[in-house]
Amino acid sequence: MTSVAYDRPSGDFKTSYGADTTIFPTRTSAAFCVAGIALVAAAPLYLDKYGLSILIQIGYLGIAALGLNILVGFTGQISIGHAVFFGFGAFASAYLNNNFGVPVFLAIPLAGLATTVVGLVFGIPAARLKGLYLAIATLAAQFILQDFFARATWFTGGVAGTPAESLSVFGYAFNTDARYLYVVLAYVVVMYLLATNLMRTRDGRALVAVRDHYLSAEMMGVNLTKYRTMSFGVSSFYAGIGGALYAHYLGFVSVEGFTILFSIQFLAMIIIGGLGSIMGTLMGTAFMVLLPEVMAALAGQLAGSPIDRALGLNEGIAFLREMAIGAVIILFLIFEPDGLAHRWRQIRAYFKLYPFSY
Amino acid sequence: MRNTGHVLRAAFAGAALAAAAWVPAAAQDIHVGHLADYSGATSDVGTPYGQGVADTIAWINANGGIGGRKIAAETIDYSYQVPRAVSAYKGWAGRVVAIQGWGTADTEALVAFVSKDKIPYYSASYSAALTDPAGGSKADKPAPYNFFYGPSYSDAARAMVQWAAEDWKKKGGKGKPKYVHMGANHPYPNAPKAAAEAYARELGFEVLPAIQFALTPGDYTAQCLTLKQAGANYAYLGNTAGSNISVLKACHAAGVKVQFLGNVWGMDENAMKAAGEAADGVVFPVRTGAIWNDDVPGMKLMKAISKMSDPSGTAYRPIHYLAGACTVLYMKEAMEWAANNGGISGESIKKGMETRENWVPKGAEGVCKPSTWSAKDHRPTLEVELYRASVKGPTDAAVPELIESGAIKMTKIATVKLPRKQEWLGW
Repeated sequence: MTSVAYDRPSGDFKTSYGADTTIFPTRTSAAFCVAGIALVAAAPLYLDKYGLSILIQIGYLGIAALGLNILVGFTGQISIGHAVFFGFGAFASAYLNNNFGVPVFLAIPLAGLATTVVGLVFGIPAARLKGLYLAIATLAAQFILQDFFARATWFTGGVAGTPAESLSVFGYAFNTDARYLYVVLAYVVVMYLLATNLMRTRDGRALVAVRDHYLSAEMMGVNLTKYRTMSFGVSSFYAGIGGALYAHYLGFVSVEGFTILFSIQFLAMIIIGGLGSIMGTLMGTAFMVLLPEVMAALAGQLAGSPIDRALGLNEGIAFLREMAIGAVIILFLIFEPDGLAHRWRQIRAYFKLYPFSY
Repeated sequence: MRNTGHVLRAAFAGAALAAAAWVPAAAQDIHVGHLADYSGATSDVGTPYGQGVADTIAWINANGGIGGRKIAAETIDYSYQVPRAVSAYKGWAGRVVAIQGWGTADTEALVAFVSKDKIPYYSASYSAALTDPAGGSKADKPAPYNFFYGPSYSDAARAMVQWAAEDWKKKGGKGKPKYVHMGANHPYPNAPKAAAEAYARELGFEVLPAIQFALTPGDYTAQCLTLKQAGANYAYLGNTAGSNISVLKACHAAGVKVQFLGNVWGMDENAMKAAGEAADGVVFPVRTGAIWNDDVPGMKLMKAISKMSDPSGTAYRPIHYLAGACTVLYMKEAMEWAANNGGISGESIKKGMETRENWVPKGAEGVCKPSTWSAKDHRPTLEVELYRASVKGPTDAAVPELIESGAIKMTKIATVKLPRKQEWLGW
């Protein structure tokens, strides 16, 4: 597992702990971050509805994926049930709003908290299990909650699903993509800052210690049970917030979306982005969201072309897309096992040291 | 510096020109969304239906369009996933005047959206919950902009229950016949469950607890043994053909003697070929007045439509293809009415659907059955045609040959006319 601390260029000496844990190592990186936020904030000016919807998708999935990265990448646990926590947040927020009239503005954070509680319950096995055994325990969470969604008509509307109102504050409805983008953007900034700061605290370092060598961590006085369970709670909180944002964006929550396939997709996002990298999570999410869209566009180009006619693909094109997505992910894992974050650091180092790289 | 300015200005001017040239040309077209399932759980029947929709739109465009304007359809394959349907809809809202949809779960999820945005939504879901435009019935909410062609799932199931009651008497069955609902726990198979069970009780059936099986093909031997143990006489299959075939085959192998009643999507020519002799005897409703090889006046139009994707004119089109074609033809005539009465918009298309009674699209006589939509009642018809599947011998050849040789055959066994009861509206 890589972390930013390992690959520093020579001559980069820190003289204080403060300098070592700063969020932005240089001014340029801070400026880049602000410019990136400004660029997204200005997106409605230069992107159409389709582009905006993709940005929003990257936003809410990125928040949920960050939660999983805290659990898998930073604490060294495993979860193959992340999608149901995402789903629980979505249903909880819609439920609070539909049945108790809680304004959506408040329902989203409340749904995050409710999901935290559920996550803590399902995180209890993590205190005793690790590795594949823990993976199977989280698989149980996936199936138990999925079945719960299908049966708990009072909570989820059963198999028919439930509508979710759009967010409105003082009568101003965030009901278009251009408006909702700002809600998601605000949440992304807050949640990513929170995670970055969490990793700079005593608790965050304890999580990393649990990951790197749990026996040593325990001997140093880190309470394993507490931090492993807490990691599940934090991870679920992020998933819940992401899910709630998704619910009020789409306007409808349905049971069938939160399958194990979706859970695996979250894992793919953080593995492709880079385990234990906060920035990488966002990159991995963007990659996983954009890949099917790009493949769909390519498949669309292929339809009706001479290649299509020569091979008689017809309806096969839709499946070609799915196959290509699988192939790209496999190739990615072979040629870039450390994730996009690693590649990004290499690109940065190249330009920083240009033309005298070593 | 000056150069960049020039380039930028030129680019902007070019973009503006392109935009200006593009907009009026596109405004001529009538934009319609087409949501199809070509790769999901119901793609077995979604593919022929979607082909019917696409071919009919192509045929309309090749034959003068709607008053000279072409229909620009955008097809999205949503894999039977509600979230994908909702996001596809969000991309269409504000751009399209009508939508050709597909499944029950997604159509019901979109009811509130299409009512708000006033976009007529032609589903291939015949859920009775979509038939109440004004509200006040047993349906959860009014669905003023939802339309479909054919009897509702509930009415089709009621018709089969009614047929089963007569069949029981005719066969001289003793005691109470046993009826059972089978299907996935999903909005689509669930849609007619309560209505059909209530009607079965009313007609003197003993209703057994429902048996579940998934929408995807699998091993359903356990379900068949349950069926056998419970001693069911009539079993309703609520799923689409793909998974029904698995049940029929498993029950055939287990020697279960039950009269299966299929949903409209539960049986067709392809399913009969795939299931072989296991499909023999299944009774199911057909929405159109004729099937592909029947000789009725409307078939000429259907053959012309079929040529849009099959220029040789030799393809055999299953019953779902015809249903898709009829749905689009009704939309076409409603659009034409709208064009003559103040212009095509969602609201005027809805009005165009609701002005006539017992109408058949021009040229489709004998295929599309006379249907009526009113502002208070969106049940197009309560007349249900029941067919029986018969399969003799091996079914290895292609469907057209099997039909030709008579190895697979669909025979009309009854036309059930249900009363238009107010209390049946919406469920």
